Amino acid sequence: MAKESLTEQIALTEVVAQEAPKKTSGVGLWLTQNGVFLFLVVLAVFAAFFVNGFGSLDNVTNILNRAVPLGIVAVGMTFVVISGNYLDLSVVAQVATSGVIFLAVGSEYGLGVAALAATGAAILYGLVNGLAVGLFKANAVIVTLATTYIGLGLLRYFSGGSIFFGPPDGPMDVFGSGKVGPVPYSAFVFLGLTLVLSLVLTRTNFGFLVKSFGVNERATRLGGVNTDMVIVGAFLVTALAAMIAGFVFAAFSNTAVSTMAQGFDFKALGAIIIGGTSVFGGRGSVLRTLLGVIFVSVLDNVLTLLGFTFGFQQLALGVLILLAVTLDVLSRKLGQQ
Amino acid sequence: MTPSASSSTGPVIEAHSIVKKFGGAIAVDDVSIEVYPGEIHAVVGENGAGKSTLMRVLAGVHQQDSGSVIVDGVKLEGGAKESIDLGVSLVHQELSLVPEMTVAENILLGSAPTTLGFTNFSEMKNIARSALEEIGVSVDLDERISRLSVALRQFVEIARAVARKPKVLILDEPTATLTPAETDYLLEMLQRLAGRGMAIVYISHRIPEVFRICHNVTILRDGKRVSVTAVAESTPEGVVDQMVGRELKKDLGSHRDATPSDVVLKAEGIRAPSVDDVDLEVRAGEIVGLGGLVGAGRTEIVRAIIGADARKSGRVTITVDGKTRIISSYQSAIRAGVGYIPEERRVDGLALTMTVAENINLPNRKELSTAGFQQTKKIRTFAQRLAEQVGLRPPEIKREAGQYSGGNQQKIVIAKWLGRRPAVMVLDEPTRGVDVGAKAEIHRLIKELADQGTAVLIVSSDLPELLELSDTIHVVRDGKIQGSIGHQDATEKAVMSLASGEKLVGA
Repeated sequence: MAKESLTEQIALTEVVAQEAPKKTSGVGLWLTQNGVFLFLVVLAVFAAFFVNGFGSLDNVTNILNRAVPLGIVAVGMTFVVISGNYLDLSVVAQVATSGVIFLAVGSEYGLGVAALAATGAAILYGLVNGLAVGLFKANAVIVTLATTYIGLGLLRYFSGGSIFFGPPDGPMDVFGSGKVGPVPYSAFVFLGLTLVLSLVLTRTNFGFLVKSFGVNERATRLGGVNTDMVIVGAFLVTALAAMIAGFVFAAFSNTAVSTMAQGFDFKALGAIIIGGTSVFGGRGSVLRTLLGVIFVSVLDNVLTLLGFTFGFQQLALGVLILLAVTLDVLSRKLGQQ
Repeated sequence: MTPSASSSTGPVIEAHSIVKKFGGAIAVDDVSIEVYPGEIHAVVGENGAGKSTLMRVLAGVHQQDSGSVIVDGVKLEGGAKESIDLGVSLVHQELSLVPEMTVAENILLGSAPTTLGFTNFSEMKNIARSALEEIGVSVDLDERISRLSVALRQFVEIARAVARKPKVLILDEPTATLTPAETDYLLEMLQRLAGRGMAIVYISHRIPEVFRICHNVTILRDGKRVSVTAVAESTPEGVVDQMVGRELKKDLGSHRDATPSDVVLKAEGIRAPSVDDVDLEVRAGEIVGLGGLVGAGRTEIVRAIIGADARKSGRVTITVDGKTRIISSYQSAIRAGVGYIPEERRVDGLALTMTVAENINLPNRKELSTAGFQQTKKIRTFAQRLAEQVGLRPPEIKREAGQYSGGNQQKIVIAKWLGRRPAVMVLDEPTRGVDVGAKAEIHRLIKELADQGTAVLIVSSDLPELLELSDTIHVVRDGKIQGSIGHQDATEKAVMSLASGEKLVGA
């Protein structure tokens, strides 16, 4: 084909394709995507001035101690949510399994053996969940519901349902009560893990594929990707985070029992959604989940300090999730215009 | 003014000075149109010219920013529902049927007859049956939509619009997914409906269709009306010139001289669902086309060859630089150098809410990373170069793919694979729903690929495209290659006579 005709064609299409793609920007869009965090700042400033005891160092420690185990679970589970697989219900069983192993096996055979055993259990959870969802295309909610009951059942069978205590001033206890200023050691673990997972999600091929799968499973597969392994990876990340959460949680109280992580499943999902990660997959970030967890924990704390009961905390969490979902819907509408 | 548009009665639908904006962009800019009973009125223009938006305003789906729509003397103000009640029915460009429901249920979707609040199924079937009879299509009313061919789904979609007894029927690109024979059937159907006094607004990229059945043609460009003329008084070239805004070069679609060399892709005895013992070879630098009717099994053949769908039997190899690899799975095909442009670009080809750069990164991620970590700069440079190479407009790699028009989206899909210098490129309906300009560019890219030594396998229902691009055409019917035609002997007639041989519609 002659050179001239090529340039002719290009000139032609220049005329044809003038339609400019639409632009997404604006204050409204920013607000819908980050409004929740403005709300957090307002809440914290309000509490600092008007809520007695909120600003004390002890209270900061208290908030962090409560936020960290849930937060570690939530940053891990963010991978499953972004992959478009809704959530991993079995974190409830995973955290408890890890906590019990660390205290029961740890006081018997030492922390190293306990860590190996807990990691083994976590990998098993990740593989079973991931292979069932990835390879066999089973629904994540149902698969993880099943593994929750299987895991809790096994745990209760082997533990006899009893509460495990660590030796006072044992390594678990030392870690669990250790602080730098008002900041417990576990908070550094949380922060470190958050940064690492954020890096994995935004900078590695694996993280990219998790997001890509969440946006469009079929296009990702046709890009030559072994998508089954991507899903297994997302569940493994969640399971390893839950294992760490179990360690931190057991260390904090120096006790562990099969019911210790009750409610972590949906509370972690709530924090993820409040952070702005889409439950439909494809959109979100680990750092947003961190902020979501802080929000939920600060709110709980403020309500407790103000003398509201647990019921009110639940009510507030529910309202907050609704608000976050509303903002998400609005942001998608604005983004499309 | 036209043979069948009687001038004694007024227009059944008229729109005056319609303006419709989306955010800051003006999609329709001061456009007026009127259509008379019995008239088939074409609306043509490039992608993004505002055709679909104008049609949605006419059907009350979009609310115009200014201007008015009057149906039978009544000013339209109440949205889509009122519009339907007044007798305006829109057949959407994207199929909007529910795959898991039956033909009858789909035809009456949203307007199912009820008795005491319960769905009256026998009445529903009666209405559905008469709508199908009206358009002359026979299909089992209890069949699920998911089991129908694309063409039959399109006809069910039309039956659904006709079941509402419209005075005005609007069709948006109804032939985009149809083969020539199916298109003929549809066009004749529209002529029959118009003959009974229905006003038809017909959107199409295909100018010959407009000249076959339409009385008048409105030409849009950049949201504005360029002209409205009687078809009898204009020529296809004139219409295209006005659509594009300049003269289309005649040598645009010439066949290139191919110099194929060694066999790269070799498939033997391929069997899969809808694929019956297919043998196929594509040489380096050669473009092999698969022709045939929709549902003939062409997509299934290419998907089985590259392992995107499972094969029952057969052997596929790819030979590059004297090294032969057996293709056992889709991933092994990609590793061996296959690039695949799937038929459904919005579902299979692109992650619409991801950026152009991210989409291009997907199949190239291994080359654009170090130890699993993405090289952001490398990705950006790579994506930018490819976006420019394929003529993406504007070439802004940080935009989401979904913000681009169909033609540009297809260029992004091509860009994904181009950077890999694929040994084999498989393209399924590469220019469906794409405007003439982008189509010419995509054809140029395909030819360049072949010239650089890629073995190209292409599926197309667009006969002129198939004839222009292919060095060899295999014609498929019933999952089998019925015959092969070299470029010098290839004519539309030759392809069609091999492709058809069965009655078109009627399960």
